[in-house]
Amino acid sequence: MRTLLRFFQNYSNLLLFLLLEIFAVIFMVQGSSYQRTRLIGLNRQITGYIYNQVDGAREYLSLKQLNEQLVVENMELRNRLDLLSSKLDSSTVVSELKGEHRYFFVQSRIVRNSVNKQLNYLTLNKGKKQGVFRDMGVISDQGLVGIILESSANYATVIPIINRDFRLSAKIKSNNHAGILQWDGISPQFAMLTEIPFHAQLTEGDTIISSGFSSIFPEGIEVGSIESFSLEKGNFYDIRVRLSTDFQRLYHVNVIRNYRQEEQLNLENQHK
Amino acid sequence: MYILARNIFRFFVVLLFQVLVMDNVMINGYMIPYIYLLFLLLMPFETPRWLQLLSGFALGLAMDLFSGTAGMHTAATVLAAFVRPYLLDLLAPRDGYEPDTYPRIHYNGFLWFLKYTLIIVVIHHLALFYLEVFQMQAFFSTLLRVVLSSLLSASTIVLSQYFVFRK
Repeated sequence: MRTLLRFFQNYSNLLLFLLLEIFAVIFMVQGSSYQRTRLIGLNRQITGYIYNQVDGAREYLSLKQLNEQLVVENMELRNRLDLLSSKLDSSTVVSELKGEHRYFFVQSRIVRNSVNKQLNYLTLNKGKKQGVFRDMGVISDQGLVGIILESSANYATVIPIINRDFRLSAKIKSNNHAGILQWDGISPQFAMLTEIPFHAQLTEGDTIISSGFSSIFPEGIEVGSIESFSLEKGNFYDIRVRLSTDFQRLYHVNVIRNYRQEEQLNLENQHK
Repeated sequence: MYILARNIFRFFVVLLFQVLVMDNVMINGYMIPYIYLLFLLLMPFETPRWLQLLSGFALGLAMDLFSGTAGMHTAATVLAAFVRPYLLDLLAPRDGYEPDTYPRIHYNGFLWFLKYTLIIVVIHHLALFYLEVFQMQAFFSTLLRVVLSSLLSASTIVLSQYFVFRK
């Protein structure tokens, strides 16, 4: 008994160290999916308010760049409007809108951004009160950004392309071959497109767009362009994609609300 | 009592500075300065080991909470807190540390502080980055991130000795 007590006395610090490390490892392993989501929720509640305050300064500093982006976007939209209105007369415009009004955009601001981790998350300043819910798509004027992971009353967490858990069905615009877009964790400017079969014709610089196979994103939202590709592992290409969204300078984003998401999911679930 | 209050105050200052300022600094996608270790580094020499471990645990847990990660900051910081007293013994001058001194450049000299900081930072970053990646595939790219981030963190910490924590 005495030797046992002495053992504990001598090695108490080592034991404490091991105990704390075991606690941390359990935390890490268990926090794989559900608990991590909970944790991020908690984290967002604590920090969302602080970041919102700090963010005012950041917003002011990036005004100039923001202005330029808006001017460019404005011009593009005006051009497109001109083009379309010359093609359609007013009666067709109304009937088309009635049938095809599937998407609605919620304008939002990023209050917290991370690009340097393996599991990056963004926090938006819009939540359930503004109609932002789980599994909605997030885009910016540069291209696709990510998917809403969870939302609280006034904030939402986004899992962006540059998160190792992110998966998206994307296709090559020129030939419609679809594959899986995921991030390799190395640089926030690049992601990998896999599962494109070897017989597909690829060219560097080809545009990658969202495939529209999921109910989250409409078809044709720009993701990036092909930087390089190789055919090392058998029958599928490894394609390195230069992302069109500059995550390091991302600020204003739009959340896509798909009015028919529920209907599509219900139909798909019936046949599982 | 005064020292305790000072350390608790430093805990929050360092943590907030890390979360609000340093987490937004990124160079190249490879280098992130993790300066929250300053709190651990600047604790008095005679702090009992169990208290160092628990402080490290609290610090890591707070970092995890703020950055939305599960456990990796905790694990890395507890490891750093465990190594620290052994390292201090190893780096001690022949007659031990003078009473009423703290681990600072002011008392122990630039070279001593640089060695001390660099070793702790490298150990912490090794654990942190490999736990974050959690796979052996990206071994060398992670190693590069460890080395570059360590250099940045250590130099920021050393610089802070001249501007903020002078005595």
